[in-house]
Amino acid sequence: MSSDFYTVSILPYAAIIIKICRAYTDSQEDFEDYYQEVCLQIWRSKDNFKEKSEWSTWIYRLSLNVCLTLLKKKKNNKQNLISDNLPLEAEEESNAFSDESLNELYDAIKQLSEIDRAVILLYLEEKSYQEIADIIGTNPNNIGVRIKRIKGRLKKILN
Amino acid sequence: MEKSIETIWKEGFLKKDALIIPRLNDLYNQKSIDIVDKFRRMYKINIVGLIVFALIFLPIAIITKIPYMGIPMFILFLTIAFFGSKFKMKLDNINKSLNSYLYLKTFDNWTKEMIGFNTKLSRYLYPYVFLSMVAGFWFGSFGGNVPGNDLVNKLLVDNPDMILVFGIPLYGLIAVLLVVTLLSIFGGRIGKWDVNIVYGRILRRLDTLLRDMEELRASK
Repeated sequence: MSSDFYTVSILPYAAIIIKICRAYTDSQEDFEDYYQEVCLQIWRSKDNFKEKSEWSTWIYRLSLNVCLTLLKKKKNNKQNLISDNLPLEAEEESNAFSDESLNELYDAIKQLSEIDRAVILLYLEEKSYQEIADIIGTNPNNIGVRIKRIKGRLKKILN
Repeated sequence: MEKSIETIWKEGFLKKDALIIPRLNDLYNQKSIDIVDKFRRMYKINIVGLIVFALIFLPIAIITKIPYMGIPMFILFLTIAFFGSKFKMKLDNINKSLNSYLYLKTFDNWTKEMIGFNTKLSRYLYPYVFLSMVAGFWFGSFGGNVPGNDLVNKLLVDNPDMILVFGIPLYGLIAVLLVVTLLSIFGGRIGKWDVNIVYGRILRRLDTLLRDMEELRASK
């Protein structure tokens, strides 16, 4: 990946990638791996960007897809380890942010299903229902109800 | 809860250290090690598989009275396992302290050498397997009779003028030689096809990774 591409096309959107990767990882090591993989995939897939959407929307979509794929792979690996009767390494507790409330919110988000995590992250990023539906690949009519339900669940967890 | 989740989100990310960007450092290092390790595991399993198969096949061939097939196949499998082990030693000796690109490039050279050797070997291997099978069934002993002799005797009843070479019908011998020649010519291709079935996926991943890294090196 050329440093120019990284500086111009990825770095200004690093916040998006960080916020998404944080929601799908439990340790700093995993977070860094996911971040790197997302950057790598953006660079690899850059020619597939057709300018039908905003570059940032495309980054959201790609970041979510990469995180979901990596999470699935990780789950499969864990299942293999369990079936091999090998002890699992305890996940390192991550206090990723100095803001305690934000850490708590992230911990609550991580208790949601993978798709609900994506929906709420996009909602918190102030994406419209249409954009959320486009990124996730669902019907915008259901998004509002779903967000209401997710927020209710988050409040319950946080309280 | 006092603050809404929207407020927590907004305020949390306003803090200076909320978005520390990880360094993109040695991006391919883990990928390189993973790909070589996966290949090494598969290669080891194949070598062990060959030895186990050889050890199982020999007694079965002797019990079923096809030792002319069993013994050559036993020797063949052990020979392939021997060369495989020699290649595995070379693979194990690849220096892991090299940078990711050189590590993968060395591994790529190793795979090319291994495939080249396999291709050459296949030119002899497939004719050898075919001859072992023919010999096994021709000289095998089913119910006390030698099938090859039974077949010749039956053919001689209908064709008493049939030409025999060392007790084998000439046409049969020509057919076997033809198949052996074809297998010798196409053995290399069959060998490559064989390698592709077993290791194709991982070798394609290696190609993609190397291409990416070469592009990355060129654009630096």
